[in-house]
Parts: sequence; structure tokens; C-alpha cells
Amino acid sequence: MKPLFKTILGMAFSVALSGATAQAQELAIWHDLGDNGNAWVQKAGEAFAKTRPGVSIKPSSFPTDQWFGRVIGAINTDSAPALIYNNYERVIRIQSQTGKVMDLKSTLGEVKDKDFLLEDDLKVATYAGKMIILPIQRVQMGFGVRKSWLDKVGEKFPETWADVQRVSVKFHDNDPDGNGKADTYGMALEAAKPRDLIHILDLFIFGSGLRATLVDAKGDVIIDQPAHAQVLEEILKALTVYGYTPPDTINHSFAEMYQTIEGGRAGMFRVGDWNVKKWDSQALNGDFVVGPWPQFDPARKNAVVIGGMRGVAVPDNAPNKALALEFAKFLLTPEAQQASLETVGAAVRKDLNVSALSQRAQFFAAPKGSLVAYDFPESVHVWYPELEAAYHRKLLGALATPPKDFKAFIKETAQEMRDLKAKLAAK
Amino acid sequence: MQAQLAITPQQRLIFLAYVAPFAVLTLLFGLWPILLSVKVSLTASASALKPDAVFVGLANYRAVFADPLFLDSLQRTLVYTILAVILNVGFALGYALLLNSPLIDKGKTFFKIAIFLPVVTPDLAGYVVWRFLYDRSFGAINALASALDLPLFGGLSSPNTVTLALLIAELWRHAGFYVIIFLANLALCDKALVEAAALDGANRWQIFRHVLIPQLRPAILINSIYALIQFLKTFTVIVVMTKGGPADLTNYVSYYAYQLFDQGRYGEATAMGSVLFACVVAAALAAYALGNRRPQ
Repeated sequence: MKPLFKTILGMAFSVALSGATAQAQELAIWHDLGDNGNAWVQKAGEAFAKTRPGVSIKPSSFPTDQWFGRVIGAINTDSAPALIYNNYERVIRIQSQTGKVMDLKSTLGEVKDKDFLLEDDLKVATYAGKMIILPIQRVQMGFGVRKSWLDKVGEKFPETWADVQRVSVKFHDNDPDGNGKADTYGMALEAAKPRDLIHILDLFIFGSGLRATLVDAKGDVIIDQPAHAQVLEEILKALTVYGYTPPDTINHSFAEMYQTIEGGRAGMFRVGDWNVKKWDSQALNGDFVVGPWPQFDPARKNAVVIGGMRGVAVPDNAPNKALALEFAKFLLTPEAQQASLETVGAAVRKDLNVSALSQRAQFFAAPKGSLVAYDFPESVHVWYPELEAAYHRKLLGALATPPKDFKAFIKETAQEMRDLKAKLAAK
Repeated sequence: MQAQLAITPQQRLIFLAYVAPFAVLTLLFGLWPILLSVKVSLTASASALKPDAVFVGLANYRAVFADPLFLDSLQRTLVYTILAVILNVGFALGYALLLNSPLIDKGKTFFKIAIFLPVVTPDLAGYVVWRFLYDRSFGAINALASALDLPLFGGLSSPNTVTLALLIAELWRHAGFYVIIFLANLALCDKALVEAAALDGANRWQIFRHVLIPQLRPAILINSIYALIQFLKTFTVIVVMTKGGPADLTNYVSYYAYQLFDQGRYGEATAMGSVLFACVVAAALAAYALGNRRPQ
């Protein structure tokens, strides 16, 4: 065989082989953001493929509960996807169950354009010394109200808890949906499981401007301090004796809460930045306004709650790890972030174009008001998850059988938690 | 004395050929998953699904029995099972006797279909409908109670009524199956014995207690064992209707184990499953032994 022919044949073979390799490069990413999340990954993937021909990104969305099981199962059986995507606290649970989430500190170090990431963002992305996610989307949650209902009952957006109470009664009594039946409620909340109740309490407490739900930075139980006790008492009453929520809320989890909101049975509800896109066009058809959580005390500024950070993580046993890390970094670029903002309604960069977004989406994308972030006691106190679980079980008990005196109940619960904390801390 | 039938080697071969596929299927899909589950319960959760799983002995069982939530859950499961078995078997017996009596002459087919239809209805769909019926804001049950000026039913959200609400929904779902078993047994009962007892002056209760019940022992036994197994494993109704609430009151063992499984805590979840399996086997054997005792 002549040398030239050999060389040409060899080159053709190499090209064919590299083409085949490029074609085979598919990165799977598992998330829980539904169709909007798929659209975002698709869009970001297409942009990524411009610099990496032949690479495709395959998003798969699972309901949150199933996402846990599938990710843990896949990691534990060495069949993990290239990337996983979720809220930081969910990735923490994956890490604590499997111990196989990569430390992304050096990966973030390779990103030059990252000044938009705040210290708090990096703090929540770090668990037990490891950066378990690259922060991609700030999770913001505000207080939403059906606009047409407010108009019908002659009210403005409720700014204070007293406003919420008044509007709640009107939403129940004044037939705001005009169907002639007394079938509407003030608020859609959730309280089926401890995790549901944690979520609701966190929103009202942090939204009222307080900085902790159960223990302060030193680890002391604070639920019976007057400011905390006031919010706690009112939320427990809202879920029970006040009757602001559907009576079956004690069995409502995320799915039922969404049914109540989207089915038009309650007028005030949580709005996550990721909800806006859908509710602008479907279900609520844009018939809602978003604002900060209600104010409980004029001395404290109420706020929109930053419920942490959503980010991308790479399992230790992910296939094609190098490429997965490249895509993870790419998700912080302006192009990918713009796609995130337009499809999911959230991002971390501040230099994005928000003009095309609805007023409600802009409320989150270009925040003007006060923002309060979740505290993160589990990263400091190892005993916290157990204490928190006991606390929420106690509260769920009170929702099932409301105490006669809520103040006394809170006091008694605080003491129980102090005793338990001392026991757990001594372990 | 009757001579024993001689089985030829060829007949034995045919017998084995018929039995073998089912024996293999039973071993593969019946016994193997149980053994695998017990094996997983003895390993560390993080490595449980891998070929080189880390053996931790009884650590998962110790963790499960040290968990007060599990002990509560187990206790509630047992109480619920006892109530459900009594209610379902008792109701089915009464319903079958009524269908078998001359009191219902016409419409027997209608009542048979009516009671059996829920058995073939997909349980998920059935329980969703029950959840809507019980809903305290728009449910039909409270709408009716309200129209009749009756006190409202707490349904699934009150600790006082949640167990009753589940028992009713489960009765609707399962009773038809038990009724069919009782009807089959009643069809085999010797009517001459009933007539003889009546001629001897026995009243209805005496006939029921001393003539019918002894003849219905096989059906009572089968139904009780089946119901015990069924209700100890109560799961779907919880997933659809209560999610273990309110305040963990319906967090029965199957559902609790499922929640742990979903969090990747395979070791503890399968340990709970194994404990439940042991309870099911023990309860079934006890019921069988009790039911098989010869009447004094």
C-alpha cells in the first residue's frame, strides 16, 4: 500500500471515528422543573452544542419525590446521569445518602465571570466543606393574590397580616369567583408532612423579616420569643381555628396545594419564581399579583424569601464527567442564564435582559424590595435535623388537635425543644 | 382398606412437567424477592443495590426498633388491621347471608354486581373518588349531612374520624371479594341440616350459630387470612387519601417503609418490610391454626 494512500485512509478512519465519538456524546440531566425545565436545558444545550458539535443534552424531569429515589438509586447502582439538578437542600440529602456528589470548588475556580455570585449563594452551595452544586438559579418566593378576586371584594394587595386576615374572610364570604357558591378560601397552604409545614412556616417567618425559624445562630431555641411566637401562633391558627384555608389542608402536600391554587379555590398563595411562567399563560392566565410576604410588625420590614439556590451537581460516578463539568460551567454564561430566565423565570446573573418578561416575572428577575434568605442551621449543628423533625411532628399534632391555648402550647413546645436539643447536643 | 393407586414413572414425569414451570415461577417471583429484600435489610443503604453491598448485620433492625415513629406505626397498623378484618369479614358474612336468604328474592344479581363491582374497579380511581366524597369543603358526604341538618363528618382531616373514613373506603373496595367466597361456601352448605334443626325447634340464631357457622368455617378461615394479609399491607389507600396524616395517624408500616425507600434508606426500609412480612406470616399461621381447630 502506498504511503499517501495509507495516510489518507488513516485520516478518513480517524475522522469517521471522531465523528462517531462526538455523536455518542449525550449528557443526561435529571431535574424536577417539568416542561419549563426541559425547555431551558434544551435551549442551553443547543447553545452549548455550537461550541461542541455533536454533543447533545438530554433533560428528564421527575416529580420531586421521585427525583430523590431515582437519583439515589442511580448513584448507588453506578448508573447515574451525567448531571443532576435541584435545590441545594435536596442535593444535600443526595450527598448525605450516597456520599457521591462531586466537590465543584475547583470547577467554579475555572469560571472567570462569576462576580454576580454572592457570598450567601456560595454558602448554601457548600455542604460539609464540599461545593456540592454550582449555583444556577436563585429560588425566590413571594406572596401571590388573585387580582380579579381582590377587585371583586374591593381590596388592594394585602401588605400586613391584618390585611391578609381581612381579605381571607372576604375571599371566603363574598363569593369572589362569582359562581354563587361559598366554596372559596383565603389561602392555599400545605401541612400533610413535616416537610410541607416547614416550607410554609419558613415562608411566613422569613418573609416577616425574622432570620430563623427554630434556633438562632448560636443554636438556642427561639420559638417562644415574642416576635417568633406571634408569627407561629398566627400561622397555626390560620391552618386551624381561623378557617382561612380549606379544612383538608392538613392532608395537603404540594400537589393538593397546587390543585387548590390552580383550581381557583383559594385567593392567596405562595408564588415561586418558577411558577410565574406557567401561571402567566395557563391555570391562572396571569390573573395574579405578586408581592412580599405579609408584615407582622411595623418595626420589621417584610420581604420576598430566598429559599436557597438551585444548582447543578455532578455525581462522582457520572459518565463523561469532564464534559458534564464543562456543561455545568456553561450554565453560568450569559446565554445559558438568559435561557434560564426566559424559560424557568430564575437565574443568578444580574446583567440579563428582563424587558421581555411579564411584570410578575420581573418582580423576581429584577427585585426592588427586601430579600431575606433561609437560615441554614443544619450546616452548623449536626443535631438540627432531628430537632427540627421532632418540632414539626409536634406542630402537626397541634394542627390535628388544636390546643385551647396556643400561647401555652408554644411555650411548652419551646421547653420540650430545649430539653431535646440539650439531649441531642450531648450525644 | 383401599389399595393405594400405583403411580408409574411416566405419570410422575408428567406430573413434574406440569408442576415445574409454576414451581420455578414461585421461586423466581415469590421467594427470591423476599430473600433479596431480607438480604438488603442486612446491608448499608448506600451500598445496598450494588453487587459488593456492605453487610451491617442487624444494625438496620436495631435502628428501626429504636425509632419511636416505627413502633407507633406498627401499633397503628395492627389496630387498623384488626378493625378492618372484623369489619370486612363480618359485613361480607352478613351480606352473603342476606343474599342467600329468601328475604331477597328479586334483584339478587343486582346486589351481587353492586358489591363486586368495586373489587374490579382500579383502586387508585376508587380512592380518589372517596377522597373527593370526604372533602370537607366540597365533598358529597358533608353536603348531604348539611342538607339533612346532621353534624358534619370530619373525614380524612380529623384525627377522630380518619380511621373510620379509611375503613369505610376499604370496606367498599374489598367486601365484594369476601362476599363471593361466602356465597360459594353457602351454596355448598347442606340445607337438610338447616331444615332438620328447624324441625327440632331451633330458633334462627341457634341455626345460624350451630348449623351454618360450622359449615362456613372454611370460608371464614380463607377470608380472615386473606383480609389479614391485605390490611397489614395497607398502602394504596394511604398514598391516595391521607399521605400518612393527619399527624402520622395513618402512617402505617408499608407507607412508612415506602417513604424511607424513596429517600434511599433501603436498609431500614427493607428491615421494616421484613418485620411486616414476619407479622403477616405469623398472623396468617395463627389464623390458620385457630380456624383449623376442631370444634369442641
